[in-house]
Amino acid sequence: MAEIKLNNLTKRWGDFVGVDDQSLHIKDREFLVLLGPSGCGKTTTMRMIAGLEDPTAGEIWIGDRMVNDDLPKDRDVAMVFQNYGLYPHMTIFENIAYPLRVRGVDKSEVKPRVEKAAEQVELTQFLDRKPKALSGGQRQRVALARAIVRTPKVFLMDEPLSNLDAKLRVTMRAELKHLSRELQITTVYVTHDQIEAMTLADRVAVMKHGVIQQLGTPDEIYNDPANLFVAGFIGSPAMNLINGSVRNGMFVTTGGTQLVKLDAADRAKAILGVRADDMQVHDAGQGDIDVTIYAFENTGESTLLTVQWGKQRVIARGDRHLRKDQDEVVGISLDPDHLYLFDPETEDRIRI
Amino acid sequence: MRDNTLKYLLVLPAVVVVFATAIWPLIEAARLSFTVGRLNRPGSLEQYLGWENYTWAFLEEPAFWNSVWVTAVYTILTVGLTTIMALGLALLLAPGGRLRSSAQTLLILPFAMSPALIGVSFRFMFNPEFGLFDAFFGVLIPPLADVSWLADPNLAFAVVVMADVWGWIPFLTLVLIGGLASVPRDTVEAAQVDGASGWRVFRDITLPQLGPVLAVVIILKSIFSLKTFDQVFMLTNGGPGTATQTLSHYIYFNGMKYGQIGYSAAVAWLMVIPMIFLTYAYAKFVFRKN
Ligand SMILES: Nc1ncnc2c1ncn2[C@@H]1O[C@H](COP(=O)(O)OP(=O)(O)OP(=O)(O)O)[C@@H](O)[C@H]1O
Ligand SMILES: [Mg+2]
Repeated sequence: MAEIKLNNLTKRWGDFVGVDDQSLHIKDREFLVLLGPSGCGKTTTMRMIAGLEDPTAGEIWIGDRMVNDDLPKDRDVAMVFQNYGLYPHMTIFENIAYPLRVRGVDKSEVKPRVEKAAEQVELTQFLDRKPKALSGGQRQRVALARAIVRTPKVFLMDEPLSNLDAKLRVTMRAELKHLSRELQITTVYVTHDQIEAMTLADRVAVMKHGVIQQLGTPDEIYNDPANLFVAGFIGSPAMNLINGSVRNGMFVTTGGTQLVKLDAADRAKAILGVRADDMQVHDAGQGDIDVTIYAFENTGESTLLTVQWGKQRVIARGDRHLRKDQDEVVGISLDPDHLYLFDPETEDRIRI
Repeated sequence: MRDNTLKYLLVLPAVVVVFATAIWPLIEAARLSFTVGRLNRPGSLEQYLGWENYTWAFLEEPAFWNSVWVTAVYTILTVGLTTIMALGLALLLAPGGRLRSSAQTLLILPFAMSPALIGVSFRFMFNPEFGLFDAFFGVLIPPLADVSWLADPNLAFAVVVMADVWGWIPFLTLVLIGGLASVPRDTVEAAQVDGASGWRVFRDITLPQLGPVLAVVIILKSIFSLKTFDQVFMLTNGGPGTATQTLSHYIYFNGMKYGQIGYSAAVAWLMVIPMIFLTYAYAKFVFRKN
C-alpha cells in the first residue's frame, strides 16, 4: 500500500516528447485511470513507474521512497502488459505462479493462490495449457491473474480488458472493481475505453500528447471538462461542438442562427459544447429551433438523432420510444444549465 | 502436370551438383574403404580387402585412437568455450545489452579470415622469438615466459583450441544475437516486474526461449570442430608428435602422405557416422515445425 508521486516527469526520445514534464500525485489506495487517445503517453508513464523506462527528467516516488534508481524487481509493483508478456514456454499455471516463485513464496502456498487467481479470471480449466493454445482474451486474463496473484504495493494495468468480448468485459470490469475495493491497493489503470474509466476510477487523468489535460473524479471530467479536448474526448456520443460567436447574450452559429441564450460576454469566435443528453427532441415548431434529421438510429435503450444544423451536424439523444425517419423535421431545445463555451484559439473553457 | 515437370526441372541442377560433389565422392570413398587402395601400387584401388581397413583402425592402430581422443577433447573444449563466450558476448551486444555499438561490426572481422590464415597468424603470434602472444603471456604469467608454446604437447593443443575459439566466436555471437533479438522483450520485462533478478530472468526466461537457437549453434559448431583440419595443418601439422592430430589430419596424413587411400577412406567413413547424427539433429532443429 502506497501513494505514488510523479514530480515533473519527462520522457524524451531524441526530439520526440513522450511525456512532457508531468506531475501527478496518486493517493494511497486510489484507483487512478489514465485515459487518452492512442500514442498520448499512457503506456510510457506506466512503464516509467514500473521501472522499465528511465525518465529523461523528474522523480518517481512510491510510498516514501524515490524509486528512480530502483530496478523493476525492487519496486514491488505488479503489471498487466498491454501485449500480455506471457512466458510462452511455461504453462498457464507456471505463468501465474512465477511472481510467487521468484519471490520465494512457500511451495505449499503457491498452488492455492494460483488457483484462486485463476478462478477470479475464469481460467481454471486452462491451467495446463501453454499460452499459444489460448485465445487473445484468455491470454489477457492470464496476464491479469499473474498480476493479482500477489499483493504488491501498486497495480499497473495497461488496457487489461481491451481484448475481451463485450460481455466478458462487463463481468471482468465488475470483478476488477470488486477486487480493487477489497484489496485496497493503489492502482494505475490505462484505458481508452471511457466507460471503463468512468466506472472504475476514483479519479481520471485525461492525457493528450504527453500532457495531462485534466485530473478529476469521473463526475468532474464528464460534467465539468477543463478544455475542448476533454469535452470532446469524454462521452459517447462525443459532445457536440458548434462553431459560432456570442452576440448580445446569444450564441449565434456560424450560419447566423440565433441559437440559445448565454450569460457570457460578446466574442467573435466561440465554440458551444452540448451533450446529446442535454438536448430535448420535440415535434417541429415546439423546440428552440427546427432541424432536419440526417440520420435516425435506434440503440435499443435510447435513440440517437443526427440532425443537420446549417453546415454542422449535431447528435441529440431522444426517448427510447421515439420513432422518426430521415429528412423529417423535429424541434430541438438545449438545456441552458448544461452548456459549455470554449475559446477556439486556446481551446480553453470559458466559464459561463 | 506441366507444373510438376517444371518443378523437377528446376531442382535438377541442384540435385546434379549435390550428387557430383557430395554423394558420388561418398560412394566412391565407401568403395575404396574396402580395397587395398594404395596409391603406389597399381591396381590396388580395385583389389578387394573386406573389412580389414576398419579392423586395422580399431585393433592395430594406436595413432587412430589417439586422433579420436584428440578430436573428442578438441571438440568438447572448442564447442564449450566458443558457445559460452559467444553467449556472453551476445548478451553484451544484443539490443538492450551493455555494449551495443560499432563493436558489432568489428566483431565479424576474425570470421572473415580463412581458418588457414588464422593458423598462420597464430603461429606467428606464438613464435618464441617475436610472437606477440608469446611475449604477452610471458609477462602475464611469468612461468610461461620461457616455454616454447608449439613445442609442448599440452600447450600446442591449447594454442590450437585458442585459435579455433577465436575464429569462431564472431559468427556464433552474431547467430546468438539474432536469437536473443527474437526473445520477446515483454517476456523479459514481465519477469523483471514479477521480481526476477537479472540472473533469474536469464535462466527462467531468456535461456529457455533461446534453446532452439543454442542447440543449432552447438550442433553446427560440433560439426565444424569434428572436421577441423586447416588450423591444425598450418599451426602444428598435428605435432608435436601426434599431440594435436585430429581425425581429419590423420586421414589426410595417411591418404596423401603415405598413399594409403583405402585405409583413409575407411577412417573417413568412420567419421561420417557421428556427422550423420549431428546433421540429422541440426536439420531437425532448423526445419522444426512450430
Ligand atoms: N522506444 C520508443 N522510442 C521512440 N518513441 C517511442 C518509444 N516508445 C513509445 N514512443 C512514442 O511515444 C508515444 C507514446 O507512446 P505510448 O506507448 O505511451 O502511447 P499510449 O498512450 O500507450 O498509446 P496506446 O493507447 O496506443 O497504447 C508514441 O507516440 C510512441 O510512438
Ligand atoms: Mg499503450
